[in-house]
Amino acid sequence: MNHTAFKERIVFTPGGKLWGVLAGFLLILGLVGLFNYLIHGVEVYNVHRQVPWGIQISTYVFFVVSSTGLCLVSSLGHVFGIKSFEVIGKRAIAMAIFTILAGFAVIATEIGHPLRMLVYNIISPNLHAAIWWMGTLYGIYLVCILIEFWFMMRGDHRFAGYLGLAGFIAGVAAHSNLGAVFGFLDARPWWHGPFLPIYFILSAAVTGCAIVLLLFAHRYYREKMPRNVEETMHAIGKLFCLLLGILIFFEIWKVLTSIYGAPPGKYEAMMALVAGPLSTSFWLFEVLLGMLIPFALILFTKARSFSINVLAAASAIVGIFFMRYNLVVAGQLVPMRPDVHRVGPDGLLSYFPSPTEIGIVLGGIGLCLLMYIAANLLFNLDDEEHPSEVESLQTNSCS
Amino acid sequence: MANEKKKRWVMVIDPSRCIDCKACDVACKRENSLVLEGRDSYRNWISSKGIEGTYPRLKQKFEPSQCQHCSNTPCEHVCPTRATYKTRDGIVRVDYKRCILCKTCITACPYDARFEQHQFKAIDKCTFCEHRIYEGKLPACVDTCPTKVRVFGDLNDPQSEVSKLLAARHWRVLKPEVGTRPNLYYIA
Repeated sequence: MNHTAFKERIVFTPGGKLWGVLAGFLLILGLVGLFNYLIHGVEVYNVHRQVPWGIQISTYVFFVVSSTGLCLVSSLGHVFGIKSFEVIGKRAIAMAIFTILAGFAVIATEIGHPLRMLVYNIISPNLHAAIWWMGTLYGIYLVCILIEFWFMMRGDHRFAGYLGLAGFIAGVAAHSNLGAVFGFLDARPWWHGPFLPIYFILSAAVTGCAIVLLLFAHRYYREKMPRNVEETMHAIGKLFCLLLGILIFFEIWKVLTSIYGAPPGKYEAMMALVAGPLSTSFWLFEVLLGMLIPFALILFTKARSFSINVLAAASAIVGIFFMRYNLVVAGQLVPMRPDVHRVGPDGLLSYFPSPTEIGIVLGGIGLCLLMYIAANLLFNLDDEEHPSEVESLQTNSCS
Repeated sequence: MANEKKKRWVMVIDPSRCIDCKACDVACKRENSLVLEGRDSYRNWISSKGIEGTYPRLKQKFEPSQCQHCSNTPCEHVCPTRATYKTRDGIVRVDYKRCILCKTCITACPYDARFEQHQFKAIDKCTFCEHRIYEGKLPACVDTCPTKVRVFGDLNDPQSEVSKLLAARHWRVLKPEVGTRPNLYYIA
């Protein structure tokens, strides 16, 4: 394949440069935040004794949800053998690697001792702890998808499939354990129970579909999409819509079971979202942008329009980012002791991210985008068995 | 030592005696050399439980509290590196060296007993003044209390003051519904 032409198309187009500048700017914001944290310590974060997990944790969840989702969607092709989905494999797995790395980078600035974690996770493991399983399984998952990507780049589809299956299993196990990190907490009734491990897998699949649509919108922004890719995107659009429908169903029952009969702990957390301090984040971002708008857009166009599918995906990704924030923060707003000085007149605790926390989160997004741009420079992420029409044309003209 | 009978350290609190002087809080910080860092660094506290009665017979109610040293220990279960552990005699401790500050234990604790202690760069909480009790002393908060709100001892010893108190009086624990089986008892 013509690498120079490829690089020119993807990266050195004005659009490519713009993405590079944007990602670089976000990364600089993140680095400023990081330095501020390294110099002043956790004082520059707005998390506190009663709300110890803030936007960095929710962003970590967002990134690993994205990674698992990309792995799930890409596995439809090279693990489960649905031919038409093979076209998304390399690009999706590459982004799965970058999202999880960005997630690790963000959480490393939140955990007080990230290096100590690497050592004591191995020499002093607690097998009762979901967070140990989550961390360990995500480590295994990352190794699996890295090797899978390597096999994909070598064109070894058989071993890529084996590693894809291993990555799929590790990813599902890790991701449901992330749900269990919240779901095992008896003290937090709104999180506690089997809902979150299952919900996380579903919402990962939704996120995976959305990101695949966005990646291919970027890839074929300036050129005609090959027919087979177009068909796959149509199928992804339909799958995205179906999964969004199921997600809405899940969400409706989560809201109703949390409000009906005002169960203690659940009710207050849900009301913080429905009619409390997080209501804008819930109704505007999580419900409207995250679910209803994308679902309606695709449903009414029957997923036929790629542009509409991409618009729906962009809306969903913004909404899903807030969905993660709502999930992490709302679960902590109900105080364990009602007389703590931070409890407001509404009986709830408060949290709003500091500029440093927001900076680090933006930096994580920038890092993820930069890695993806770099991957486009270094590798051919198009499916080799289904080269793009431009490449086909080039090959034809050469011959 | 190996044949020595296991102890079960408990604290019995009579909240009706509490006058909210906060001497327990001060004694705890002094005894454990805790640096004052903002409003989040404290191992024990006194909650105001409102006023009962009608004028002029009014009574302000207080409830001193701290880590409950639960027998079914949620913070120990969730700790990924076993930094939180239970001693042979049931005291819940944090090994600062192993703590990675993931803060999962804070979210797991139904009593808000844990916090990030910048001084130790780790999660911190009450230790029942373990360094004192094996020397035959009482925990600092118990020792200092002017109205003897707190009684500390070994529940496995039927002759201990805590055993006698719990046998003689009605008592309750905080949040029994979460199933943590606390070792702090409140005289009802």
